[in-house]
Formats: sequence, C-alpha cells, structure tokens
Amino acid sequence: MKSFVLGEFGTPEAVVEAAGKLHAAGRPGLDAYSPYPLHGIDEALGLKRSPVPLFALIGGVTGAASGYLMQWWMNAVNYPINVGNRPMHSWPLNIPITFEGGILIGVLSIFFGSMALFGLPRPYHAVFESEQFRTASLDAFWISVETERTDETQAIEEELRKVGARRIHTVQEGV
Amino acid sequence: MIAARPMPSQEIARAARAELEPPPLITGYQDDGTITKSILDFVWKRPSRGWWALFFLGLTGTGILSIAVAVTVARGIGMWGNNVPVGWAFGIVNFVWWIGIGHAGTLISAILLLFQQKWRTSINRFAEAMTLFAVMQAGLYPILHLGRPWFAYYLFPYPSTLKMWPQFKSPLMWDVFAVSTYLLTSLLFWYLGLIPDLASMRDASTGRRRRQIYGIFALGWRGSARHWHHYKIAYLLLAGLATPLVISVHTIVSFDFAVALLPGWHTTVFPPYFVAGAVFSGFAMVITLIVPARKFMKLDHLVTKVHLEAMNKVILVTGLIVFYGYAMEHFVAWYSGNEYEFHQFFFTRPRGPLRYAYFTQMFCNVLVPQIFWFKRARTSIAIMWIASILINVGMWCERFVIVVLSLHQDFLPSSWAVYSPTIVDISIFAGTMGFFGALFLLFLKFIPAVAISEIKELQLEMRHQHANVPYQPSELEAVKP
Repeated sequence: MKSFVLGEFGTPEAVVEAAGKLHAAGRPGLDAYSPYPLHGIDEALGLKRSPVPLFALIGGVTGAASGYLMQWWMNAVNYPINVGNRPMHSWPLNIPITFEGGILIGVLSIFFGSMALFGLPRPYHAVFESEQFRTASLDAFWISVETERTDETQAIEEELRKVGARRIHTVQEGV
Repeated sequence: MIAARPMPSQEIARAARAELEPPPLITGYQDDGTITKSILDFVWKRPSRGWWALFFLGLTGTGILSIAVAVTVARGIGMWGNNVPVGWAFGIVNFVWWIGIGHAGTLISAILLLFQQKWRTSINRFAEAMTLFAVMQAGLYPILHLGRPWFAYYLFPYPSTLKMWPQFKSPLMWDVFAVSTYLLTSLLFWYLGLIPDLASMRDASTGRRRRQIYGIFALGWRGSARHWHHYKIAYLLLAGLATPLVISVHTIVSFDFAVALLPGWHTTVFPPYFVAGAVFSGFAMVITLIVPARKFMKLDHLVTKVHLEAMNKVILVTGLIVFYGYAMEHFVAWYSGNEYEFHQFFFTRPRGPLRYAYFTQMFCNVLVPQIFWFKRARTSIAIMWIASILINVGMWCERFVIVVLSLHQDFLPSSWAVYSPTIVDISIFAGTMGFFGALFLLFLKFIPAVAISEIKELQLEMRHQHANVPYQPSELEAVKP
C-alpha cells in the first residue's frame, strides 16, 4: 500500500529550499504543492523539460496541413466547384482555413496533451485523505514523499521536520 | 555665505524613487489568505437583492430572445426587416458587434500576457468570461440568418449522402471555421486558467455539496509542482496561439465585406481597422461591466484605478486607429475617383435617409474617446463609464453604417430601398443582451471573478520587487532553454 508523508511550509522560499535539500539528498518520490507556480521549484525537484511545446508544434502542423489538404481534396478533386471561373485549386483562398485549422488542432493538442500529462481528471488521490492538505490550494506549501514501505514513514517524517516543515501528516492510499 | 544643509543622498534617492514608482496594482496589505477570502466572499455570500433584480432582467431578456427566435424559425426570415438590397441587416450588424466585444477578452488575457503587462492579472478572468459569452451571442445570428437554421450542420465538412462538400472559396465558410475555433480556444484557455481556482474553491468551501461540485470541475487538481511545470508552458502557448487567432478572426469577419465588390465594403483598410475597432469596443464593454462589478463585489483593492486608467489608454489608442480607418475610407473614396464610392461616402452616409447612424458613429467613436487624453477623465469613474457606453453605441452604429448604409444605396438607384428593423429584429438584439447579462451574472456568482492563483503570484512578485530582490515571473521561466 502506498503512503504519502506530507509536510507543510509557510513560505514559498522555504518549500523550494526544502525540496532542493531533499532532492539533493537523493530522496525518491518527491513532489511539492502550491497555490501558484513557484519560482525555482523545477530545478529543486530536477524536473525535465515539458513536452507540451512539442505537442503544440505537432498539433499545429498537422492541423494546418490537414486543413489545406481538406480544402484541396474537397473543392478540387472530389467535388470540383467552379466559382466565377477561378482555378479549382486556388491556394490564396485556402489560407484562412489552413491557418484556423493549425490553431484549432494546436490548441486541442496543448489542452488535452497537458491533461494527459497531469493525469487529470482524477477523482481520487491519496493526498486528499489529509484534511489539512486543503491549505495547499489556499495559502500554504506542501512537500509530499511517496513510499511503498510503511516502516520508512517515521524516518521520512524526521527528514521533513529537519528541513523545516511546520506540520507533518502521513496518509495512506484508501482501499 | 552659508551653504544649505545637504540632504543625505540616500534620502534623496528614496524620495526620487517614491516619486517615480507607479501606484501599486494591489492596494493595502494582502496575504494569500486575505486574497482568497476577498475574491471568494461574493461567491459564498447569498445573492443580494440587486443581483436578483438584474438576473431577473437578464432572464426576461432571455425569454424575449427565445420567443423571437421561435418566431423566426417558425415563420421564416421574412419576420426580419431585411429586404432586397439590404439582405444583411441586423443579423450581421449584431454578429460583428458581439464578436468585436469578445476580442478585448482575448487581448487582455493573451496579448497582454505575452507583453508581460502585470495589470492584466486582475481583469483577465472577467474579460475572458465576457469573450466567451459575447461569442455565444454572436454565433446565434449567422445561424438564424441561414433561414433554415436546422441545416446549420451543412456548413461543416462531413461525409454526407449528398456527396457534396462546402465551398471553401467563400469568406462565409472562413467565418464558420474562425468563429468556431475562436469559441473553442477561448473556452479551453479560460478553463485551463480556472482549474487552480476551482481547486481553491473546493478547498475553501464549507459545505459538502459545494465541495463536491467544485471538486468535480477542478478535475482533481492538487497544485503539484509536476503539474505546474507543464501548466505554465501550456498556458503560455495557448496565449501564443490565441494572439494570432484573435487577429485572424476579425480579419476574416472583415473579409465578409472586403472581398465583396460593394462600394463601402471593398476596401483594403478593413482588416486592421476592424481588429482595432473590435478591441476598442471590447475594452469599452469591459469598463461598462467592471465599473459596477468591482464596487458591488468589493474588489476595489484588486481592480484599482491603475487598471481602469490603463484600459482607458487602450481605448484612446485603438480609437485613434479607428479614426484613421474612417479617414482613409473617405480619402480613398475621393482620391480613387470612383463615383459609386464617392456617392457612398459623401452622399449616402452624411446625407441619406439613415444619416443619424453615421453622425452617431462619428460622435461616439471619434469625439468621445478624445476625452481620455485628460488624466482626470481617465481616472473618473463616472466619466469613463458614460464614455464606455457611448463608445459601444458608436461601434454598433459603425457596423450598422457599414452593413446597411452600404447596401441600401449601391450601384443602381432603381434598386435602392430604405431599411427599418422589425420588432422581431429588435427583440433578438435586446434578447441577446439579456442572455449575455444573465450568463455574466451567473459567472460572477459561481466562479471567482478574479484569477486567485495569478493574483497570489503577482503579489509575491511585488513583494520581491519591493525588497529589491530580482524575481523572474514563472510564465517566463517556462521558455528558458
């Protein structure tokens, strides 16, 4: 059964510093929680570059290309429409929808791609077992340490206390 | 000779600095707790009598809208005042007006984010909601204008048994793609920004029901650093895509006119002038809505005069661009030597039967915004509120002039006719205002009107600035190589 040891901190600087110390000490299963994005937390936790820009690029290019191909195939190949004797395949008139297609698929891939990275929507997470954890979205900052071993939680609590957590709480994943 | 006692240089420096420092974006001492509380207070409170009165008014409008739409659908488009030369009357005037209003929301939330304008933080949520609801009203008009709105899905390219595809060489098809992309992008951008605040609401709520409902909409957000890591860049990229999108949407709306050959429409200045006009009217609408809202919702400490003044400056600048557009239209009509253009701009508009719309447009859009050259007008609540309403009246008249006045006297005098709206036209227009108002009041009541997490971050940033510690905003951290 998974356990989460949670430690609360009062200021953004304190939580970043504590996360950095724990990460440097090689503690696995670390995560931090805050009401707003924190400066420097990515380095403190050693997070890799986000793949979201790549999603945007792939989505945008796919959207624009399929937008253009769609217009060409529909109006020039599959069902040619003669409009005022303009060429069947008149590229300048295809630009607006090509552009909108790129934006549309780009936006959808950013949004749903990040949702997939977040793992949301997710109705249950063990950290919500702690009633005090509610402050994580309001005015406090938390660090969680995930562990599979229940005999380890005591030691982790001690570590969190050492880096300055003002409140410590251990929760277990509900069954 | 006695030298005057020199002031300690540090003191001079401090005094000079205080003089130069802009007034704060958040007034009074606030910590994360008081920010959450002051923003959410209005949501938790029982709605006041004033809210109910306005909401009832909005519902009445929605009722009128439903009846007018039912009449249009049941008896046909002939219930509108459109006639043979004026085929595009209220339906398109109101479409362009509403979609233009929407543009300020995207401008505030996306373009000002990219330009790192801090003052956007207090008003972006509010303006984005306005965008969303305005685009919803706008979308209604072209669909009804189809005459047989139940076939609206024909506009989308889907494999049908008719084995036909839409005609993509028409600006009206471009509109379909532009407006639907715009609505979807605005919705997703707004919702992504809202998720952390919905989580705050879930966690700050006292009742079980509230906790469950906000919990569902928060999707299980827990503010994890691993999530913020992707969130920051996703938000920035959405802003980056929304920025060219908003410009493209009104450009395409202007193509509806500019691609046609009608005198008064066939102009290359249309795209930039339409985009500027959209921002102009949108900012005016934000002022119209936020001035009463900040007072009744007690958000004066977050939406300060600094914000209002900055918006009035944008109104002044975009107003001047719009004025330049008007000037160019008239100049080119004269300089081109085209008699139809000349007739449109120098006879039909100022001397025709519908000239009152032209003069209202010129008064409200050219003269009224000039008042914002004065700091007193930019910071006076009463003046800016009245000016903002006049500007929206003026911008509505501008679209009326472009659509109706150009159509009602085109090339051949034998085909001219005067236009007047019917009661159904007016009811639909009034009804969409009611519907917009009702949606907006529901938004104010159920969703934090100011982005809580962004305000908290801004506040931290300001604290660092005050202590002279350099602070890099997180939205930029995401783009670091």
